[in-house]
Amino acid sequence: MRPRISWNAVRLAIVTLTTASLILGGAAACGEEDGTVNLRFTWWGNADRAKLTEQVIDRFEQQHPGITVEGTYAEFTAYFQKLTTEVGGGGAADILQMDYRYVREYADRNALAEFTGNAAVDTSKLSDALLAGGTINGKLFALPLGQNTQGFTYDPTVWASAGLTAPALGWTWNDLVAATQRISDITSRRPYGVVDFGPIEDWFEVWLRQRAKSLYTEAGQLGYTADDVTAWWELTTRLRTSQAATEADLTVKLDGSQANDPMAKKLAASGFGYDSGMTPQTFEIFGREIALAPFPSDSDALGQYAKPSMQVCVFKRSKHPKEAAQFIDFFLNDPEAAKILALSRGMPVNSDNRAAVGQTLTGPPKVAYDYEQLVGPKLTDAPPPPPKGAGAVKTAFQRVYDDVLFDRATPREAAERLIKEAQQAIAE
Amino acid sequence: MPDERPRVAYLFLSPWVAGALLLTVGPMLASLYLSFTDYDLFTTPKWIGLENYRRLFTSDDRFVSSVWVTLRYVLISTPLKLAAALGVALLLNRASRAQGVYRSAFYAPSLLGTSVAVALVWRVIFDRDGVVERSFDAVGLHTGGWTTNPRLALLVIVLLAVWQFGAPMVIFLAGLKQIPPELYDASAVDGAGWWRTFRSITVPMLSPVILFNLVLETIHAFQSFTPAFIISNGRGGPSDSTLFYTLYLYQRGFTEFRMGYASAMAWLLLLVLAGLTAVVFRTARLWVFYSGQEQR
Repeated sequence: MRPRISWNAVRLAIVTLTTASLILGGAAACGEEDGTVNLRFTWWGNADRAKLTEQVIDRFEQQHPGITVEGTYAEFTAYFQKLTTEVGGGGAADILQMDYRYVREYADRNALAEFTGNAAVDTSKLSDALLAGGTINGKLFALPLGQNTQGFTYDPTVWASAGLTAPALGWTWNDLVAATQRISDITSRRPYGVVDFGPIEDWFEVWLRQRAKSLYTEAGQLGYTADDVTAWWELTTRLRTSQAATEADLTVKLDGSQANDPMAKKLAASGFGYDSGMTPQTFEIFGREIALAPFPSDSDALGQYAKPSMQVCVFKRSKHPKEAAQFIDFFLNDPEAAKILALSRGMPVNSDNRAAVGQTLTGPPKVAYDYEQLVGPKLTDAPPPPPKGAGAVKTAFQRVYDDVLFDRATPREAAERLIKEAQQAIAE
Repeated sequence: MPDERPRVAYLFLSPWVAGALLLTVGPMLASLYLSFTDYDLFTTPKWIGLENYRRLFTSDDRFVSSVWVTLRYVLISTPLKLAAALGVALLLNRASRAQGVYRSAFYAPSLLGTSVAVALVWRVIFDRDGVVERSFDAVGLHTGGWTTNPRLALLVIVLLAVWQFGAPMVIFLAGLKQIPPELYDASAVDGAGWWRTFRSITVPMLSPVILFNLVLETIHAFQSFTPAFIISNGRGGPSDSTLFYTLYLYQRGFTEFRMGYASAMAWLLLLVLAGLTAVVFRTARLWVFYSGQEQR
């Protein structure tokens, strides 16, 4: 027996369901009809930084009842993997924390909104050198969230118990080799003298600048040769084979996160880093006190520079560029916000706030602040934002070094491959 | 109203058809077009003809190494996984009251397998100072971390794949149940041993199922992405030892913004997979036996 179905009823049901889903979908899309503006802000960093950022967001929301800000964060590597996907798909957050190395990449690809017109931010208390780091072809696409500089972090207790004098301005690369070797030998590599710094392009850059070279020339070409990379990797290979620097197992995992930082796990007594890494909880996380010293140098040049530690941008497709700029303005210029954030993203960029915050610091941020006062006069201007493809070069720098770590290539062979890859990356 | 029925059928099919067109066919055609362009995700694609393909074959060392890594992975993991699946299926095929429990237990890893969580657990287990390294240390073998060793990292991912033999196992089990018991009775009467029975009855009778699993698992292995991505932290390292083809494709497309290049890689993979599947089907005539057919 054929079941009796009224096809009209089926049609009616389908039409009803379709209409209902359209209405629901439409309603979901118009969630902001009540006048509130929902902003999304995404950044990289640890839980510590997230806590402070949320406090500033709360304060902003209190003072701006019509705006809500939703924050999300990730570790550096994961953050950029996710960001590229989201920007490519058009679904990125309104406010993006940006790295100096990638800013031109995103700006050139038309992914960032300019800070201008009603989306302008008050920059009167910001230094020109820092603003230049976010200016591309005369347009302001990124604002500094903080300023930092490169440095040498070390465990002063281990240093003293090995009978070594604390590193200070004027110490040389040979001093570094001798000191870290001595620590590794005395402690039987518990901890290692230093975290292998071979894979990190940032530290190589300082070393280059001490030799009056740079990662990129003004014209956006590579500013170094295979000889430079070879010398750098020969230095680190010497440290690794003599066991002054961390073993390959540890080095290969470096990704900018504390979870994979041998320094934080007490497996190494020192390592290069940015002074903005000194957050209020650093001593607790690291399980001991950490001190900061300038880079060693064999020349008069220190090579370090005042860097926009992080930048902030507005996504080109954000529906609320004006409110996004309002939030950024608050983040940079509000004195209370500056006090909450302290040095969690580097030195405050607003000069008034910096002076005020400096008075109130204790613990690790105080160490960083004092360090900035010490090296400040020796710092030079930051290089212009690097060319498109620079991000890929930084990744390649670490990846190619893997082959050196596992003795699959000599420093010379690896260096030549890196140069080839780097030139391809910035030319394409 | 018989004339209404096909129309209604199409109506009910329409969500699926719309999904297939919008989410599969459309993007595939778009990616075919993009594979002939220089496209960075944000700006308009620029037509460059076969340039992407030319570069793949002439000036990309990482492409070559990713192909080797992937081939090694497929050639090692697929036979091991199928062997494990068949072995366990044979054991489970014996009548036992606990069979259902065992079947579920062995099948569970397959369900979890593609998930990020399991890959994360795997990474921790095989990491420096992880359970595996400590166990080996306890018996006096110093291996170091497996995931941080370029010679062992791929093996970690192979082991993860083999551990997920549940899906082919369930299919083998179903196939084994289809083999008429008379055949086994007859061979027992003739005095055939276990090996002889396995070779002369089980394998030929099961061969269509083996073919099915072989094709499916080979394609899966070529397309594997998540474990390599998670275990190597998205890098394919150490030293590019876990740089799967798909992972390199992802890096090219999403971290280096070369979407045109990545599209060319995707199409190349599709063509190779189609070709391989065709070869397997061709050679299948030589060893697959369909009962009810004259043996060739």
